[in-house]
Amino acid sequence: MTTTTTTDTVAPPSRAAPRSSAAQRRGARRRRLGACGVLMTPFFVLLVTVFLIPVGTAVWLSFFGADQPGLGFGPERTVFVGLRSYAAVLTDPTFLGGLGTVAAYCLFYIPLMVVCALGLALLLDSGVVRLRSWAQLGLFLPHAVPGIIAAIIWLYLYTPGISPVIELLARGNITVDFLGVHTVLPSIVNIAVWSNLGYNTIIFYAALQAVPREVIEASVVDGAGPVRTALQVKTPLVRSSIVMVAMFTLIWGLQLFTEPMLLGQQTPMINSRFTPSMYIYDAAFNRNNYSLAAAASVILLVCTIALSYGVTRWTNRSDGTEEAAR
Amino acid sequence: MPGQQSRRSVLAALAALSLSGVSACTGSGGRQPRTTGTIGKSTTRVTFWSALRGSQEVVDEFNRTHRHIQVDFQQVPSGALGGYAKLSNAARAGNAPDVATIEYPQVPGFAIDGVARDITDLVDADLRGKLLPQALQLTTFDRRVFSVPLDVEPMVLHYRTDLFREYGLDVPATWDDFEEAARVVRKRAPDRRLALFPTDGMTQFAAWSWQAGSRWFDTSKGAWNVSMADAPSRRVAGYWQRLWDQDLVFMNPTEGARGTAQIGQGRLLARLSGAWDAGAQMNAHPGQAGKWAVAPLPQWDTRHPVSATHGGSTFAVTKDCRNPEAAMEFISWQVTHPDALRARLSSGTSSQFPAAPGLIEVGRKAFDRSYYSGQDIYALFREQARLIDDRWTWGPRMTATQKVMQDGFARAAGGQGTIIGAVREAQRGTMPDLKALGLSTTAHSS
Repeated sequence: MTTTTTTDTVAPPSRAAPRSSAAQRRGARRRRLGACGVLMTPFFVLLVTVFLIPVGTAVWLSFFGADQPGLGFGPERTVFVGLRSYAAVLTDPTFLGGLGTVAAYCLFYIPLMVVCALGLALLLDSGVVRLRSWAQLGLFLPHAVPGIIAAIIWLYLYTPGISPVIELLARGNITVDFLGVHTVLPSIVNIAVWSNLGYNTIIFYAALQAVPREVIEASVVDGAGPVRTALQVKTPLVRSSIVMVAMFTLIWGLQLFTEPMLLGQQTPMINSRFTPSMYIYDAAFNRNNYSLAAAASVILLVCTIALSYGVTRWTNRSDGTEEAAR
Repeated sequence: MPGQQSRRSVLAALAALSLSGVSACTGSGGRQPRTTGTIGKSTTRVTFWSALRGSQEVVDEFNRTHRHIQVDFQQVPSGALGGYAKLSNAARAGNAPDVATIEYPQVPGFAIDGVARDITDLVDADLRGKLLPQALQLTTFDRRVFSVPLDVEPMVLHYRTDLFREYGLDVPATWDDFEEAARVVRKRAPDRRLALFPTDGMTQFAAWSWQAGSRWFDTSKGAWNVSMADAPSRRVAGYWQRLWDQDLVFMNPTEGARGTAQIGQGRLLARLSGAWDAGAQMNAHPGQAGKWAVAPLPQWDTRHPVSATHGGSTFAVTKDCRNPEAAMEFISWQVTHPDALRARLSSGTSSQFPAAPGLIEVGRKAFDRSYYSGQDIYALFREQARLIDDRWTWGPRMTATQKVMQDGFARAAGGQGTIIGAVREAQRGTMPDLKALGLSTTAHSS
């Protein structure tokens, strides 16, 4: 949605170009290429240094190993080991368990986040809420808290013995173990929702602002109530934002690391290989197995790319079918 | 009031002055021999990392008595707190210390990674003869020696004499007696327990399995044969599972506030741990002096008593060491010289049991027996050390194996899974690691 509008506004100068002479055109073209170069270089430099080179290194590392044959007490030599590290990762029940954990986390977290953020944005947009800017600020503030600090705050609230929340509940004869077998994942989801809800609400709210007012007026004239307007008129019009938020949340969710790493200090229910990112950390720094860590990283990257691609394809296709239906 | 305040601040300033004076004195005193000409240019410097208490005293003593070798000591965090990661990273960067301290379970891992040097040729017959064979066997792989044992810690039963008397308990000689005693304690005092199954205790569980005849890792036929859930292991796991299911033991971490409180409040009547723990207990609970005694580990079969170790450290010469002979001389002195043990014991209350039997008498004399009501615990340790089964081998990635197993123990304590389940999980979580290292492996789930 947003991309089409920007190209529209940028396009006119290029359409005006044919009127000038060939020399001028060439000069303009050179200047434009120069500007392009200046503006794009930092991006490509960063892309190469902080993305392509590390990814390339990881892929290289994952195919080589510092091997010693037999019992392993001989001298080390670096050899090409092919897919051995990948096979090891994929047959490791602890890695597959970690994938299962993030899958459960995403299935729980993404719908919850999208529904809550969209609901809040629709409420803000409907004008029901007074003091709208204050509500926005209040919602957004938690996002300004760095993830690690947020995890520490919540760790304090979750830990029996020091948490005022648990103490209050205990007074009402309710005992909750926020870090128990079945509650630890919802506890992590809660931290993520608390941190990111405001940010995603703002994204949805901004998208809702772009919905043409005449469409809403038309629906009101047609007799749609506020709820129906929100759900059947506004929501379909901000679909692309919903897809974007879902996709970013998915990518973040797959990389889940900080919160479980910190909560893990207080609960045995979070082990050192609780998520794929923690598995990678453990493989590299506790097990000293860099090729295993690299292979797991590449597998996680491939999973992320595949899922993102899948989400985009799936939504594009359903977009197409919808248009065809119209 | 103001007068008092100013007087106090003057006093504080004076105290600070005198303190800084003292530290300046000791500082120059410590540095003096190195700068003065008494040591020629032929002095070899050896860097040494350790997390063991009393190492500074040992190094000072070495430097005082040696001229041609001087040791630079650095206190590092214990392995679990990042000491091993620090060593691995330093080795990767090419600046590992000359001598590093490695506990028994981690020796094969550091040997495979090439951090611990093959020192077979440096361990002469003299040193070999001074060490307990069972200890040296734990640092020897493929007939090559990778580190030198400092202490060997037979697991023993530490128990509360006063509470044992109160409940009319005899010291359990067998595990069946132990279970019976646990039942009596549970009946007589519902808030007390005889023992604790430590959820952070892979090393304790390993010692029990080791005693029962288990061999988690075996290096015969040129491969790492892993069978952590073998019959003896299953027997031990089943035993403790039964005790836990009947609520006869506690099941929580032994390290940390909860475990310390259980002992401090007298809710735990016995501890199953290495000989070193006798000294640690004296440090942690000085108020319980006279209430503890030490007994042999309960047996499965009293006709064939067997023991196993819990704890203990070794010294390795690293790959980055430029003068292995000098490093080895320092190590050899540390593990066999009476002055070294005396210096270590002088640092405080320690009950380290030396891997060199020749030093036992030194430790026995230096140890203050009053906490244990005069019991000759070193004599008991010596008896128990002889009974250590010499067929045990630690695996190549024990730190990781330990984590997975202890995660499982903690879940079992929370009602999810079992003790043997945690052991099987640890094996499953270890095999991919070993395969990815390119090692020959076989896995057994008998």
